[in-house]
Amino acid sequence: MSDQTAIPLEDTRKAQRISPTVVTVATIYGIVALMIVASRLVSPSFGGLSQLETILYLSSFLVFCAFGQGLVILVRGLDLSIASVITVGGVLSAALMDGSNAGLFYVIPAILLACALIGVVNGIGVTVFNVPPFIMTMAVGIIVYSLCLGFTGGTPRGFPAPVLNDFMGSRFIGIPAPVWLLIAFAAMGTLVQSFSPFGRKLTAVGNNPEAAYVAGLPSRRLTVSVYAISAACAGFTGILLASYANGATLRMGDDYLLPSIAAVVVGGSSILGGKGTFLGTVGGAMLLTTLATILSALGIGQGWKTIMEGAVILLALILLRDTVFDSLRAVLVRKD
Amino acid sequence: MTDATHPSVAETRAARRVTLRHIADSAFLIIVIYLVMAVVYVAVQPSALSAYSIESLFNNSLPLMLAAAGATFVILQGGFDLSVAGTISLVNVVIATTPMEGPGGALALLALAVALGMAVGAINGIIVAYLRIQAIAATLATMIICQGIALLILKAPGGMVSDFMVYELTASLTDRVPYALVIAALGVVFWTIYSRTDAGRNLLAVGQDRKAAALSGINVQRTEFFSFVWAGAFYALAAYMLAAQTSTGNPSAGEPFLLLTFAAVALGGTAFGGGRGGVTASLFGAATLMLMQKVLFAMGVSSFYTGVIQGMIMITAVLFSAAVHHAASNRRGA
Repeated sequence: MSDQTAIPLEDTRKAQRISPTVVTVATIYGIVALMIVASRLVSPSFGGLSQLETILYLSSFLVFCAFGQGLVILVRGLDLSIASVITVGGVLSAALMDGSNAGLFYVIPAILLACALIGVVNGIGVTVFNVPPFIMTMAVGIIVYSLCLGFTGGTPRGFPAPVLNDFMGSRFIGIPAPVWLLIAFAAMGTLVQSFSPFGRKLTAVGNNPEAAYVAGLPSRRLTVSVYAISAACAGFTGILLASYANGATLRMGDDYLLPSIAAVVVGGSSILGGKGTFLGTVGGAMLLTTLATILSALGIGQGWKTIMEGAVILLALILLRDTVFDSLRAVLVRKD
Repeated sequence: MTDATHPSVAETRAARRVTLRHIADSAFLIIVIYLVMAVVYVAVQPSALSAYSIESLFNNSLPLMLAAAGATFVILQGGFDLSVAGTISLVNVVIATTPMEGPGGALALLALAVALGMAVGAINGIIVAYLRIQAIAATLATMIICQGIALLILKAPGGMVSDFMVYELTASLTDRVPYALVIAALGVVFWTIYSRTDAGRNLLAVGQDRKAAALSGINVQRTEFFSFVWAGAFYALAAYMLAAQTSTGNPSAGEPFLLLTFAAVALGGTAFGGGRGGVTASLFGAATLMLMQKVLFAMGVSSFYTGVIQGMIMITAVLFSAAVHHAASNRRGA
């Protein structure tokens, strides 16, 4: 950090052109591409476009909830209620749609709104009452899960709308509909996080909350809205997961909480806030998903699979450190 | 290390008093909450005072208490350690797959367990303190790796725990004081001494203000490193007592501990972000969390909804302890 300020002005401009963000994102997608190509060695059916399609399809669920997680982490927070809110989204869509397409146009917004309200509670706890995000979102997650458990009596009933079910299995110009959804979501998310006034304000709050406050940014309102977005994204993931599996279970969100954090940090975001891109997060999610599909194709035991997953996260963290980029950038700038 | 700068004696004394005051504040509160809850429990469940009931309560609570005690070391210096779940799973299966009978075997296993826990802690410490990787992310990775290794050692729940551990360690001293309570009390004694050593004070100083701590000559990296090592040792103790209590090994034994550990630390009043709180508070925080489940059950609250009350109590406890701390620091004029 302090090295940067020491570089003379004209050099800083040159250095900005090869920003670490671009390098990070490019590296992640490079690794994903490499892994997909290399996976041909594992199975001849792998390594092609169909595998890419599968990976995009499977990673879409993680991408949707990791967007919210990424925004929360951007403002120095953490959302541990994601697993429970995914369950809420799934349980509510199964119960409210109850296997019929009728009223879908108000049921989906109603579910997203209900989830967003959970996020508002998180946000108010964090901003107004100064409860640490870790505790607030964990407590709200426990409360919400417990309410789900109570209301469903342990077994969620109903089915999502058939139309959603069909959507998950349909194709549009030869590509699965959820993959289109993923592409649209990634484009919109990038726009929001990196190229909108809202995103820039969030980055400012994450970089230095005091400075952002002094600069007149409504930090509290911004933070609350971020938690609301995160919860809505989790709810959205829940709806899609329920549609994909044609039903909800109470533990359906569990597999997404830690991976959502992992996807964000592997994607080059700082868990301390103020730094990160959504494209990086998408790449992180794809990396984790690719790894999981390759590992299960290898037919190795669950133990080795888990170890590899952890090792890849650790390796990514070590390789994506600021210092690595700083030295890389220093070399490149010198060459100029 | 300590001879870099010399704050005046008066300043050091004042700082020491403030630090001790913080520890006293937070542990005192949770002890009161625990006692109140114990009274309520006895009131709604008269059989709670039977020797068997007390013994099982402490046996059930001890693993979480030790895990929370460990996590406190890291949280006090301003870090995070998610590896608690992985470490407990790993040590738990190692114990269940290493047959050693009798008191000697139990002691050897204890040494093995603690060494293993400290080794995991040391790895965390190196990655976080020296490679400068964000603690949450790094320990998330080591947690997953430990869980993987646990699965390699034991694919499914099983294994064997020696009769000595299962029957003697979970029994009571002179049939009245559960060993679990004795171990917890030793934890309190340990922290009371440790928090008065240089290492203990450094831990809190680093958590309060890293830069100031570094400027006053504290080796911040070493403090961070050892907080993870101590944490690992306590997770290992938790896993050891868990094995004794469940008399079996389980590769996912640690998973339920992940969130509960942090809940217990928060309930104890230790500040997330570091610098305020203590191991004693976390021991009582964990004990309160476990007692609360019993109280809610005894009061006839549907087990479905216990989470609602647990979550609310967690938030309330954090708010309450922050408010008390705020009031205390205002009175001091700090």
